[in-house]
Amino acid sequence: MGEVENHLMKKIRLGSGTAWARDRFQLALDLVERGDIDYLSFESMSEVTMSNAQVNKINNPDIPGYDPYLERRIGSVLKDCVDKGIKIISNQGWLDPEAAAEKVIELAQNQGIQSLRVGAVIGGDLTELLPKTDICLAETGERIAELGDRYVSAEAYLGAEWIIEALKGGAQVVITPRVADPSLYVGPLAYEFNWDMEDWNRLGKATAVGHLIECACQVTGAYFCDPGYKDVPDLAHVGAPIAEVDESGDAIITKTPETGGIVSTETCKEQLLYEIGDPSAYLTPDVAANFTTIKVEQVGDNRVSIKNGSGLKRPENLKVLVGVRDGFMAEEMVLYAGPGAWERAKLAKEVLVERFKEEDLNPERVRMDFLGVNAVHREASPTPSFMPYEVILRVSIHTKSKEEAQKLRKVVDPMAVSGPAGTGKWSTMGTSVRPVVAIYSAYVPREMVNVNVIYKDI
Amino acid sequence: MRRDIVPTIKLREVAHSRSGEKCDSVNLSVIAYREEDYSIIKEQVTAEKVRELYGPIVKGNIIRFEVPNIGALNFLMENALDGGRSRNLAFDESGKALSSLVLLMDLEVPAGYIGRSGLKV
Repeated sequence: MGEVENHLMKKIRLGSGTAWARDRFQLALDLVERGDIDYLSFESMSEVTMSNAQVNKINNPDIPGYDPYLERRIGSVLKDCVDKGIKIISNQGWLDPEAAAEKVIELAQNQGIQSLRVGAVIGGDLTELLPKTDICLAETGERIAELGDRYVSAEAYLGAEWIIEALKGGAQVVITPRVADPSLYVGPLAYEFNWDMEDWNRLGKATAVGHLIECACQVTGAYFCDPGYKDVPDLAHVGAPIAEVDESGDAIITKTPETGGIVSTETCKEQLLYEIGDPSAYLTPDVAANFTTIKVEQVGDNRVSIKNGSGLKRPENLKVLVGVRDGFMAEEMVLYAGPGAWERAKLAKEVLVERFKEEDLNPERVRMDFLGVNAVHREASPTPSFMPYEVILRVSIHTKSKEEAQKLRKVVDPMAVSGPAGTGKWSTMGTSVRPVVAIYSAYVPREMVNVNVIYKDI
Repeated sequence: MRRDIVPTIKLREVAHSRSGEKCDSVNLSVIAYREEDYSIIKEQVTAEKVRELYGPIVKGNIIRFEVPNIGALNFLMENALDGGRSRNLAFDESGKALSSLVLLMDLEVPAGYIGRSGLKV
């Protein structure tokens, strides 16, 4: 076989180790043990992750700024990954990728690993910079500089280029702050195949692949199974996805051997459109990906081919998430069951509205919903066609001050003794008053974001 | 055919759906189980019909995108989460549980149509 054919046959296998900060730990263990992967990526963030971490850091300056699950997620697979040559790409750096990298080195030393290079991508945190600029919140037009005490944090979505740089620098583990989720997969592919970072079609294809597996089991039968309509074998042990990608960017989506779940055209189509606006222009820091040219085809058991994706030039600016303090929230519940449960729950709601006045509780916003009836689809819920056996009245409020939010307990607790018949008491483990950090977006020119890679070595 | 004898079936028998959020917007996909049924959903699952179901909780626009390469529609529903996940007072702070509502939509189908669960009209 000639050199050209060999080159075309090179395939890179990417494993997705977690969909978000608190996904199962078993996924990565199985991927590393029998997934035969080249790269293992961990996607650990939701929208609120960094701003919550900022608030935690202000309240507890001693806690590390990286994902508290980092030690277990990376530590549990590190030695095997090093032995097998599997590289790890993780956005668990959060506020402090450098400290996270140092932690990984420490874990490696404790495990007797002789040689390791960890790359930390530093610089996506724009918290100190943005108040010195004219950048405004996209949703309200307010200048960030004028937010005052309400301002908590700002971080840019970084792209694949820094992951590529770290890999070129010899990193076997790459720790980043917030990056666009698909970039965790685009990075290793662009590095392995030495792609031109202006080859928009290829980057578009790779972005589709990354998007398909970035939510881990959501493409292998999880968040899909609907008994009788979409059946999934052994959901309890659903396994992590693997993307097998060639130099063109075309891919096969499959999953870890000997796990539950299913990879089908149906699971892939659902995940392809998940959290997408315009499918012809899915914008990431790397590319404007076009999913409307993609062909999805079942080519074997739990093997789906993803081909023909495309893309256009990446956006000029980088998207930034901005955290802004917005008061407090509190939540309480009272419980009813059996005959008349619905009437009693409705009576409890009328009573509570009056009792708010007794405690001078004046929230900015309030919701009173009935669990089992209209708490999930809210005002869009259809009228129930039968009397529910049990009904839980749930009250939630949004207030400016913590003191105001704390009044909710004083209004709801007495319902146990001065409410309708058979009022059940929700166990107090759920009672919580939480600070709200609202997430807004902003856009900054790329030049404003100063990023580099630093290395920690054994 | 007289309108009152056109068979109808729930969307759940014809297509599947998934929802998620982007800031204060919710996306909702509607994907035909069978390729040949894409024409049914393309014709009948309009933004207006989606608004009939979701209108009470969507304060902004409902924009429909066609994705014929995978036999699907994608709806972007703006201002559906009371300011976004970080500020949503609802019991479900996310948009993830919202897809099942669209499956209740009634669709007109040819007589003899067999739905996903085996239901025949």
